[in-house]
Amino acid sequence: MKSAPFVVHQPKSLRDAVNLSAIHGEDAKIIAGGQTLVPMLAMRIATPAILIDINNVKELTTIVEKEYFIEVGAAVSQARLEDYLVNKNTHPLLATMMPWIAHRPIRNRGTVGGSIAHADPSAELVLALSILQGWVVLASAKKQRKVIAQEFFIGALQTDRQMDEILVKIVFPKLDKNAQYGFVEYGYRHGDFAVVSVALIKNDQEWTFAYGGINDTPQVFKEKLSSHQDALAFVAHLANTVNVREDPTASADLRRHLMQSQSELLIKQIDLVKG
Amino acid sequence: MSQLPFSEKISVEVNVNGEKRSADCEYRTTLGDFLRHGLGLTGTHYGCEHGVCGACTIHVDGEPVRSCLMFAYQANGKEIQTVEGLSSKEELSDLQAAFRKHHALQCGFCTPGFLMTSSKFLDDNPSPTEQQVREAISGNICRCTGYKGIVEAILEVANQRTAKGGRVC
Repeated sequence: MKSAPFVVHQPKSLRDAVNLSAIHGEDAKIIAGGQTLVPMLAMRIATPAILIDINNVKELTTIVEKEYFIEVGAAVSQARLEDYLVNKNTHPLLATMMPWIAHRPIRNRGTVGGSIAHADPSAELVLALSILQGWVVLASAKKQRKVIAQEFFIGALQTDRQMDEILVKIVFPKLDKNAQYGFVEYGYRHGDFAVVSVALIKNDQEWTFAYGGINDTPQVFKEKLSSHQDALAFVAHLANTVNVREDPTASADLRRHLMQSQSELLIKQIDLVKG
Repeated sequence: MSQLPFSEKISVEVNVNGEKRSADCEYRTTLGDFLRHGLGLTGTHYGCEHGVCGACTIHVDGEPVRSCLMFAYQANGKEIQTVEGLSSKEELSDLQAAFRKHHALQCGFCTPGFLMTSSKFLDDNPSPTEQQVREAISGNICRCTGYKGIVEAILEVANQRTAKGGRVC
């Protein structure tokens, strides 16, 4: 349970960070909060020769709020974003989802960029970025590019990030003024990974359901529905027809049951909340 | 045997429990190992070593973190509080005394983590409900005595402090 030896580079600018990434390529891993990487190092699932520690890169530690979205630097801790959203009373859906990420001592170190780059199929931030149709900005020594969530998350723990790229910022679009929202998660213990999580956004007659934990990436379904009754029928149909994974923590049947029962819960509560 | 080229020693200095301390370690040394083996502060316990059990919880710059999920080099220059810093050498803190009174420990292995998690929680939430206490300590695992005594101890301290109009150490 002790990491193999490695050396650490602590760049102070994004330029230095991407240059290091270009030089070291596959020999290097990027570390920010390390709440997933440190256990992987300790268990020697990962044995990089070099860590590029981005905690001192100022460009990656800002939260910038615009009229229609919030831009979060990749090295911003989850706790900082959580507190920001509560203090500014902004983005209630994201604010609702943040406390579900592990436990506060983990969120104090864990970063928004780390969670997005790791792309766990049941991670709350991955689900949030997917349902909000947000995007990320990646930088290499050569260029910067923007990738939308749908194209960024390509599989379980797999993203479109190339070896020489560093995640710079994550952009979460805000909800429309009249939008209603909901989030619910089922796990075996508070702070554990979700077996199934559901986020819902309702804009007038347009309902968007997003499911975490049911497959390799969050599954998002958007549908025009004229009544709550139609919405209940829609989620029953989804639960019966979409591809659902099976693993030792839960059977496919349990996941289907949770998809439906949790969606029903959100549909029944949706009139109580406003974005 | 020749030394691996990259197991080089680095020097880390931290302000721990109000005292400047430094020691040599490797880049791969976790903060908890640094505190225990580098500085001899063995109050911080390692259980699972991958962030699940919470036994190694300490405060870095005032915030609770898992000391097994942070490298010592990342704490360079930071303020650290460990369980040794919760009270003076002569007397237990109110929280520690309440843990003893309510039998909130049996083997005591998880206790430093529970104390560090709950001390910060009480600073932020002076009058918590039982449900809030249970959620706050849900990231810490106790395998022998259960959580009843721990919850009672934390709630009693909250009540005592509220009655006295603030925190008493």
